[in-house]
Amino acid sequence: MFRRWIVATWRQVWGPAMSLLQPVIWIVLFGQVYTALGSLPVFADGGYIAYLVPGILMMTVLYSGAWAGTGYIDDMNSGVMDQLLSAPISRSAIITGQLLQQLVINVLQSAIVLGIGALAGARYPGGVVGILFALVAATLLATVFCCASTAVALITRNQVALIGLSQMIVLPATFLSTTMMPAALLPDWVQAVARWNPMTWAVELARTGLDGTLFNGSADAGLLLAQGGALLGLAALAFAWTLRAIRGYQRSL
Amino acid sequence: MSAAAIEAENITKTYRTGRHRSIEALRGLSFEVPAGSVFGLLGPNGAGKSTTTKILTTLSLPSSGTARVTGADVVRDAATVRTRIGYVSQGASTDPLLTVRENLELAARLRGMPRSEAARRATRLVDEFGLRENVDRAAGKLSGGTRRRLDVATALVHAPRVLFLDEPTTGLDPESRAAMWGEIRRLAGQESLTVVLTTHYLEEADRLADRIMIVDHGTKVVEGTPASSRRRSPETGCASSSSNRMPNARAVLPHPCWACARCSSRSRGRRPCSSHAPTTARPRSARSSRRSMRRGSP
Ligand SMILES: Nc1ncnc2c1ncn2[C@@H]1O[C@H](COP(=O)(O)OP(=O)(O)O)[C@@H](O)[C@H]1O
Ligand SMILES: [Mg+2]
Repeated sequence: MFRRWIVATWRQVWGPAMSLLQPVIWIVLFGQVYTALGSLPVFADGGYIAYLVPGILMMTVLYSGAWAGTGYIDDMNSGVMDQLLSAPISRSAIITGQLLQQLVINVLQSAIVLGIGALAGARYPGGVVGILFALVAATLLATVFCCASTAVALITRNQVALIGLSQMIVLPATFLSTTMMPAALLPDWVQAVARWNPMTWAVELARTGLDGTLFNGSADAGLLLAQGGALLGLAALAFAWTLRAIRGYQRSL
Repeated sequence: MSAAAIEAENITKTYRTGRHRSIEALRGLSFEVPAGSVFGLLGPNGAGKSTTTKILTTLSLPSSGTARVTGADVVRDAATVRTRIGYVSQGASTDPLLTVRENLELAARLRGMPRSEAARRATRLVDEFGLRENVDRAAGKLSGGTRRRLDVATALVHAPRVLFLDEPTTGLDPESRAAMWGEIRRLAGQESLTVVLTTHYLEEADRLADRIMIVDHGTKVVEGTPASSRRRSPETGCASSSSNRMPNARAVLPHPCWACARCSSRSRGRRPCSSHAPTTARPRSARSSRRSMRRGSP
């Protein structure tokens, strides 16, 4: 089943390619606009770019994850979904196959974003292990959003509703988190929201991995563990929701 | 193993369309399809043909009643049914972005065939269905008739025992329709394959099916064997024989001409085609004349 989607991957090459242009723009844009921030002591020696890159990484994940459901809507409209549902494959295989395909794309995208970040001047003292750690965090966040997007697609069956809803979520999720600003620079209420924002969890996990604080003991291990656990739990919940959604979809036919 | 490929007993389907509203798409349909035959499921738009097909292909659940396909219950034993059927849904059912070959191989791989066997099978079907020159084109770029042939080929990739074709010729030009009829006839010759053909063209069912069931508003109007195509009305070329032998059919299907192979315009409008205008042969039914008056045709 997984292979079905890998075969199907190359035809979508353009989508991911376009979504890579975005992080480039973001890195250049935010990097330029906020260069002055780099001199603030909160950013330590890395400067703002190094701070920003994990944020952009998760933004990329968020944006492409939010689109994941659109493939299902295409399949529903083209009759492919009917074919899959009347074929002798389990409903969970349909979901898992598509998800794995998206996660593979996501890892490639993430690696490229980190590469672009390096070109823009960010350094990753966390080394290879730190980068792998960031990729795992990105994969968890991607699972959450791909599944959520898929579930919404299966429930609404409507491209416009899906895109509208994801846009309503994606922007606040980005700004009400530590994606671009450390918590210390955020207003109190935003800080409060950001603490419970899965985007913050993923960004902070990736950040400590990339800047190496995860390994030299200066990071709050307990907090990171809680954030990682919560992200994992959320991913599992989102997956279960998607499974429910596809069963519900078939029941409604 | 029973001799019937399909046994449906009193199946109903109610779609909920709102909190207090619902549509009764099927109101207790019972029928049997003998193994190895071609069964024509005929009826106007909205009669419940697709709903019946979807229930038999395990895509949707009946609200009540039971149905068995090759002896396996479509609800309790859906997994078994799925391994034994091929399904061509109304409209396209292949991935528009994949090529002909990829679609075929994918369908085979989805059913657990190893890669080499899937490739072999795809090549065979490409030859069988005359898709060779389009083998590397995306399905979405094919002409309507070719795309439909690919749909059928894809549904046959695992050599199913029962093939469901939901309006395989609707929207096709006359030439493609004739080609599709050729394919269906060829399939009908296979002893081991049962074909359920859904259509709203009387002539199509008449020419291809061993048995016809006409449904309207979710109930059976009539069931029987079609007249042989040799007894078609010579002056119009329209297959009115079935509607003569099954008087009830006339009530459902406004005019025999609406099944005419030459009137591909039928799929777009409900007007009888001009060349087979109803005035020549026999008086039109009250329904069709009301319809054509409303539309202001002669
Ligand atoms: N998913 C659905 N939800 C609600 N109503 C439906 C649905 N599918 C079909 N119907 C209704 O059920 C009836 C039968 O439809 P269908 O089986 O598609 O007819 P046919 O294939 O013979 O044209 C129609 O009135 C149609 O509007
Ligand atoms: Mg239909």
